[in-house]
Parts: sequence; structure tokens; C-alpha cells
Amino acid sequence: MTIKDINKAKIPVIRINNKLDKFKNTVLFPKKLAMANKMLENVELPKI
Amino acid sequence: MKYSRYNYSTEKESTIFEFTSIGNKGHVKKLVQYTEMNIEQYYNLGFGDYNEESGEIDDEIITNNGDSLKILATVVSTIYAFTAKYPKAYVYATGSNDVRTRLYRMGITINLEELKDDFYVYGLKINNSFEAFIPGEDYLGFLVKRKNEKIEI
Repeated sequence: MTIKDINKAKIPVIRINNKLDKFKNTVLFPKKLAMANKMLENVELPKI
Repeated sequence: MKYSRYNYSTEKESTIFEFTSIGNKGHVKKLVQYTEMNIEQYYNLGFGDYNEESGEIDDEIITNNGDSLKILATVVSTIYAFTAKYPKAYVYATGSNDVRTRLYRMGITINLEELKDDFYVYGLKINNSFEAFIPGEDYLGFLVKRKNEKIEI
């Protein structure tokens, strides 16, 4: 794969970062999650 | 992708992504997290600044680092990475306030042509119904779903 190919790719080169493991099982944006759940509570979901 | 974006890192489950915004206010770490919602296969996209020193995560802050298009393209790119691992996932995103929701709308709009190649893209209207995303329309939130669950990107 050339640099040009990498730049065009929809996903860049992704590094595994073990430091992020500390956030596992933690909701980092709880207010946002609660809001999203509430918003979709009584909504007709698109049928795909 | 049409817009340049930052490289990012993730953990083994590919639900949390980290990248660094570099702009006129310096280096700002960003976190993106996909969290399971109350509806099966639905995941909420959360996104905010991460202060490594204080450990604080803030999804309401307006950083104004002068690279918002690059940040938005990066967040959109994480949707590709996340759904590559969870191809059946529906990703729902809404801003923590109207400004942030408009920012998300801009992020989808500028990347829409590419997104539509691989995803169904919906907007949640004020009357609480979803419609296929139309640029310029006001939405409360946004939903994307990979079209081809077997696609390899």
C-alpha cells in the first residue's frame, strides 16, 4: 500500500493503544447517552 | 476521504478512539466512544475533549482550535472503523447542545457523498420521525447504518 493509498483510505492506520483500556466498562459521556436513550424512546425507528 | 483527518488509536474492542487535534490553541486530545444504547444494536456516539492531566472529559466545550473540519472528518472515519468491527450496529449521534448538533450536521453534510456510498444516513426530525438525511435540514440527531454488513474497508 502506498502513502497515496493510505491517504485515500476511509480508515487511517489505526494504532492499538493499551492506555485506553482504563476506560473499558466506563461510560465516558453518560449525559449524552441518557439523552440519546430518551430521544429514541418513543420514536419510530427506520426500517432498514 | 475528501477531507484530511488525524490518525487515531483505539483499544482492542474498537469502541473507544483517541486522537490529537493540533491547531492554534495547541494540542488537544479527543476521545470518541461508542456506547450500547437501550435498543439492541444501537450505539451512541459520544465525543469530547480529554484532559490527560486532570482526567476530565468534556463534551460541551468549544475548543476553537481552527481544525473543526479535520476533527469532524476524523470522527466520521471512526464510524468506518467501529462498524468494520460491529457491522450490524446502528450509530446514533446527537450534540450535547444545539451548537454541537449543528456541528455534527456539518460533519455529516461535508462527508455525505462518501458516507452514502457505505451507509444509510438518517436525520431525526423535530416531529420525532426519521428521514433520509437532507443537507440543510434541522435535525435533533443522526443515525447511520452500514449498507453492506459484509463489506471490507
